[in-house]
Amino acid sequence: MSDYSKKRFLVIDDQPQARDALRTIAQTIGAFAVEFASNYQDAIYRIRNNSPDIILCDYMLGEGRSGQQLLEELRRFNLLPDESIFMMVTGEQSYEQVVSAVELVPDDYIIKPFSPDKLVLRLDRIVARKNFFAGYYREKRKQEYDKALAILAAQRDSEAGRPYRFEILRQQAEVLLASGDAKSSEAAYRNILENYDFPWARAGVARTLHKQNRLTEARQEIDRVVAGTPHYFDASDLKANICMAQGEHAEAQKVLDEVAKKTPRNFMRKRLLAEAATLNGDTETARTAMAEVIANDNMPGAISPADRLGMARSHVNAGDKISAEKVLLSMRDSEVQGMDLAAQGSFAALLAICSPERGKAKFVGLRPALLASELDTAARIDIMRAALAIADHPLADRQTAQLMLDVDAKKVFGTIRTQYALHGRENDFREIQKQVALKRIHHEETPTGST
Amino acid sequence: MQHLLDTLASGVHDAKNQLFAAEAIITRAETEHGIGLGEARYAIEAAANRLSRALVAYRLLREGAMLAVTPAIVGDICDEVMLTQKNHLAIKGIRLDVHCDVLDEWPLDRDLVTDMLNNAVQNAGRFARSAVHLQATINDGDLLLTVADDGPGFATLPPAMGTGLIVAERLAKLHTRHGRHGELRLDNGSPSGGARFALRLP
Repeated sequence: MSDYSKKRFLVIDDQPQARDALRTIAQTIGAFAVEFASNYQDAIYRIRNNSPDIILCDYMLGEGRSGQQLLEELRRFNLLPDESIFMMVTGEQSYEQVVSAVELVPDDYIIKPFSPDKLVLRLDRIVARKNFFAGYYREKRKQEYDKALAILAAQRDSEAGRPYRFEILRQQAEVLLASGDAKSSEAAYRNILENYDFPWARAGVARTLHKQNRLTEARQEIDRVVAGTPHYFDASDLKANICMAQGEHAEAQKVLDEVAKKTPRNFMRKRLLAEAATLNGDTETARTAMAEVIANDNMPGAISPADRLGMARSHVNAGDKISAEKVLLSMRDSEVQGMDLAAQGSFAALLAICSPERGKAKFVGLRPALLASELDTAARIDIMRAALAIADHPLADRQTAQLMLDVDAKKVFGTIRTQYALHGRENDFREIQKQVALKRIHHEETPTGST
Repeated sequence: MQHLLDTLASGVHDAKNQLFAAEAIITRAETEHGIGLGEARYAIEAAANRLSRALVAYRLLREGAMLAVTPAIVGDICDEVMLTQKNHLAIKGIRLDVHCDVLDEWPLDRDLVTDMLNNAVQNAGRFARSAVHLQATINDGDLLLTVADDGPGFATLPPAMGTGLIVAERLAKLHTRHGRHGELRLDNGSPSGGARFALRLP
């Protein structure tokens, strides 16, 4: 048995009686320091301030939040080192269904009621596994992907690695994808599927196909996962992303509408819904979703400048320039100065659209930098719109040509066409399309979206 | 039907939370007074398992349940059954032996398989004279989990199947891999002469 007397425990449960029970169990196994959190916010606050060694978290946290959502958020903000132990505690058999489907799982889960001995047995196992992977975690954290993969490869063939065969394969697939090698990651996931058809592994295949811009195949795989495990909400998010890449914005929004209703407090998903609704031309849904995100995602630092730009963008789309301007002007100068060029371009473009007298000068000032730089899709669209509005045709057409050459071409095609039509420049748009097509033919041997 | 299932599930959930609170109180009493109340804890956990099993049976027979298959370490499952059952059997003078030759992870529904084995060991303990033997091996490429005792064996073969066994058999069949199904077999093939429960998973 490992020594738990020096470990710091955090018990997260909204029910006082259950909290006491968990504390008693933790103290019985020797825990010296046991802290409590009674709700979601409190839990995040405590983990952020002083990361505990072992977290015992109830699955039902009240206020429409679940322990699973907490776990996802901790990973999203990188608050949970690989070395910490996260144990889900649940009275629900149904949590097992969640664990078997999703990619993001706790270190283990335990069903109530359980004895101190059983908790020790489970924790000892996790400790053994974490010790086994300790060297790998270190390299992964330093983003030394080659070294991390070398460790996994050696472990995979070792006798000691036999009990962790699937975990090793899964880590290999994830690191390969993180290092940008989507093709090898796909092979690793397929290797797992050959052994057993796990939903998370099939979703992994879909994710790697998406990264390789093999959209039709990606869609087939993810459709299968969503149909087989409708409670696997992350798969629905992935499906929506693939649909958007295919230009099927209505389907993307439909998928997200459904899961967002079941997970009203998941604000990452709300952001995605806003994106899909925007592309789908449903400006009101986009506006409502972004407003909910900004009002309710109260994790410190959760609302990024990108969110405020997204909110302003959805007001612009809905024709409400006054609200858009208000959002933009509420951003502090220091915040705007701290943004990268693409975001500054978006900011200036959106402000120029809603209030030329306030925004045009800044936008024009950025022009040379915007013409010379690689920008992300959202920024290019904002800049294209502002440039069309002030009749700066070269700047607009340059963004459009870049967007049409990009992997996201199908995703944004409808949006661009609408904007050019608004300014009576349909023919110019068709001309740009033609030029891009010719360019593609010239560069046939290097298709866009290659990995 | 979904509504009724939700009502049942939420009732079971609340009951298990209460049982957990009771178990914690017993645990505290054990520490404070230096006494062993293992049998009280065993009874509480058995009651909770019984509730879960009833819910699984209802879901399976009414709606066709889905398995939750994860890669599981077979030795860990054996250790847990040992931990849950050993002391209880020892009080009745029955020894529980566990042999696990399986090192690799196996894709299976961990909670359901653990519960099936717990139930099988509990049953075997009722008829055994001196020992129950839990074994995990690889057999013809399948995972074979057996629980054997040295009691009188089943009076008739195949034995009469109650709801519990019917459910266990269905759950075994639901485990599929590479087009092959799991199966449950009950016979008197125990090496020590008694009954044998054999769960085969592809």
